[in-house]
Amino acid sequence: MCDTCGCHISDDTSSKIVEVHQSLLAANQEQADKNREHIEAMGAVAINLISSPGSGKTTLLEHTLDRIGRNMRIGVIEGDIETERDADRIRKKGVPVVQLTTGGACHLDAPLVHKGLHALEHQSEDGKFDLVFIENVGNLVCPATFDLGEHERIILVSVPEGSDKPAKYPTTFHGANTFMITKTDLLSYFDFSVEEAKNEALRLNPDLRIMEVGAPAGLGMDQWISYLEELVAAH
Amino acid sequence: MHELSLAQGLLSQLQALAKEHGAEKIVLVRVSIGAQSGIVIDSFVFGFNAIKTTLALSRDAVLEISEVEGSDLILMQVEME
Repeated sequence: MCDTCGCHISDDTSSKIVEVHQSLLAANQEQADKNREHIEAMGAVAINLISSPGSGKTTLLEHTLDRIGRNMRIGVIEGDIETERDADRIRKKGVPVVQLTTGGACHLDAPLVHKGLHALEHQSEDGKFDLVFIENVGNLVCPATFDLGEHERIILVSVPEGSDKPAKYPTTFHGANTFMITKTDLLSYFDFSVEEAKNEALRLNPDLRIMEVGAPAGLGMDQWISYLEELVAAH
Repeated sequence: MHELSLAQGLLSQLQALAKEHGAEKIVLVRVSIGAQSGIVIDSFVFGFNAIKTTLALSRDAVLEISEVEGSDLILMQVEME
């Protein structure tokens, strides 16, 4: 458009420079904050479970649901690159569950979780929950960078993985609320020092709550369930 | 930081801007990267150059990075036609 008289002139070589000044990092954070509000409107506390593949996130959820699946209104958002396998496992426990597949991205992000929250609401009569678990893509690195809108972030490291993992993944442990050592029923088979893992984790994050579980064997589950009940009650 | 994911975010933002301004081609993209952001510039440029080819809109776009103080990643200017 002509600046002088406002008429439409076609100018073949017109290229324009647009001033933008927009943060590219802000986008996920903004959606995460909206997710947090959304979750609160659902009446729920949201927990983001982060770990390497195979640390026991889904197994922990299965055993948790066995214990309190009927006492609380629990919803689960599963995150994977491919397959619905984790959601299928959770579905057998009879709670609302949504599978998010990224198709390639190695972490969940806030926009994807936003879709998951809406899908989860559709599975419940009134859209209200006490607890929403978000099981992230198995990855100890990338999920740490993406706020999903959770209230609590839990990092799981299993005994076979080794007690040096907290030291090796500082960013992940900095951003967490709770560190859970899983598969503690295997301690006698591995060279895992619970003390080393705890000390390294606390050095990175002195406020970290630390728990130990061996879910299939029932180890540490009472403490874990009490923690969940406290979180929900405090809300 | 997650360079490829951020590059994808940049591409989405460029698409939205092009639509808003009725542009068909992105010519130049100026981005400031904070030295404390933890973003590896080479990885970000590599990622952007890899995915820009997926759209006719951005196929020939040139990415210019300025390293600045701070921990943010800011899309400063876009030249389009």
